[in-house]
Amino acid sequence: MDFGSFLKSPEIKVKVVTYRDIFQDKAMIENRFGEDYRDRSAIIKLDSADFKQLNVKKGDTVTLKNSFGTIVVKAEESGYEPSHKGIAYMPNSPWSNMLVSDETGGTGVPKFKDISATITSAKGAKVTEPGF
Amino acid sequence: MEKNYNVCTGCGMLCDDIEVESEKNIVNKVYTACRVGVAHMKEGRESAVFRVDDKPVDEATAISEAVAILKNAKNPLIFGLGTSTNETQKLAIELARKTSATLDDTSSFCLGRVVEALLQNRFKACTLDDVRNKADVTIFWGADPSDSHPRHLSKYSYFPRGTEKQRGWEEDRTAIAIDVRKSHTAKICGNNFFQVPPGGDAEFIDALIAGLSGKLPKTSYNFPPKRILELANILKGAKFGVVFVGLGLVYSLENLEPLFRLMDALNEKANFHLIPMVGHYNMRGFNENLFEETGYVNSVKFEDGAVKHGPEYSIVEALKAKTVDAALIIGSDPLSSLPRSIAKNLLEIPVISMDPCETLTSRSSKVYINTAISGVESGGSATRMDGVKVEFKPVVETKRLSDEAVLKKIMEAL
Repeated sequence: MDFGSFLKSPEIKVKVVTYRDIFQDKAMIENRFGEDYRDRSAIIKLDSADFKQLNVKKGDTVTLKNSFGTIVVKAEESGYEPSHKGIAYMPNSPWSNMLVSDETGGTGVPKFKDISATITSAKGAKVTEPGF
Repeated sequence: MEKNYNVCTGCGMLCDDIEVESEKNIVNKVYTACRVGVAHMKEGRESAVFRVDDKPVDEATAISEAVAILKNAKNPLIFGLGTSTNETQKLAIELARKTSATLDDTSSFCLGRVVEALLQNRFKACTLDDVRNKADVTIFWGADPSDSHPRHLSKYSYFPRGTEKQRGWEEDRTAIAIDVRKSHTAKICGNNFFQVPPGGDAEFIDALIAGLSGKLPKTSYNFPPKRILELANILKGAKFGVVFVGLGLVYSLENLEPLFRLMDALNEKANFHLIPMVGHYNMRGFNENLFEETGYVNSVKFEDGAVKHGPEYSIVEALKAKTVDAALIIGSDPLSSLPRSIAKNLLEIPVISMDPCETLTSRSSKVYINTAISGVESGGSATRMDGVKVEFKPVVETKRLSDEAVLKKIMEAL
């Protein structure tokens, strides 16, 4: 078991895989700066065991962090079976892109679907604004 | 009654059976299109906007500022064009030549290498119409068209009755999903969903190739060999098979060699074609137009009449290495779609953004030209994900300039 899980605010290591979502795509076309797009993008879908370990409720914010960036997004259970402990899913968006590595090995292709990060409860912090 | 059908430019499927109701150049109702297509067709509501340094200006000022940026740049980047017509793309290639620019599109970090291999005849190709009429086995690999191309399964790949497939999905077709998660498409495929771990596709391909030759399929993640052999048996029986390649597969492979091996193995036993699941409505057009001009599908640099090509001329590497000193971004939003750790370098150079809608890139650009929505407010031609050319007229009129018209004005002023 990770040392992080014994901390008061457990910290979990996850691999984040990004995906496309039709509802999020529609929201983006309607308004990239709108609430609907943010609500459908700034989320992370976790395995139920990881979700419980973080000690959060559906819709609570969590902080995802790695050496490329830090974002606050809302957490939910994926509902996927079988268990995918340690793997989390996020719609592809400016939020997920804040965590994508700049290491490309000179190929021109970033690892959009292979993001390593840690998650902790954000303790009520607001979702990150994606502006510059 | 003669029907007036429109083309939806919401994705690479270019559905050509769309009906709309409009009044005063505003689309009120859209029939037949998917959720994304409806939103796309109704997108145009804004009046023309031109901005320089965040301040509203007139058209002439915005164009002359854009021209000044391109003239002053030693190595400008021209990027985007996935949502532009073939005519606009050809103009952009000419502009890139004229300004000794680095020219790239989103395909350099998504499906470009698959399209390139198709154009080099490394895969057996077919059209979506062939799929509707003939396909009996379809594989969605790292692709979830139910979300990315919502009418794909109903119009072509699974549900429809085709000329040689009159019993549709119930009896005539088998759909298979291979993915890292149970996507909406995977749910439709039922028992024919094969879940691989992230990064496990190349191994799965080799195991499947072993299975096709009757050998024991092995993976380091212990995928049940029996299931791979069952899959191999379905594929061996295909009379007209199609592999729809999505980003999930492409990002999982270091190069396309495993995919070449798989397609060769499938075609030794059966008859398999490949179609890339192109997202932007004319990304394939960009690849084909540039290929025709230069022999490359993306990531080029024009210099002294010659063309250089390589990943160093992709937007990602050019921004990382800070080799470009200005950018003309056409119908794309790299500040949203690229890793922030790389995209932030765009903020250090003057950017001209041509886009029908406000984006993170348009808001951070030195010059913003609010263009017409290609395919809704301006017409032209495009190339569908399967390589079929599609022509379209504007659905409604607008005062906003098309990206083609803006590029012409920039070319003239240069």
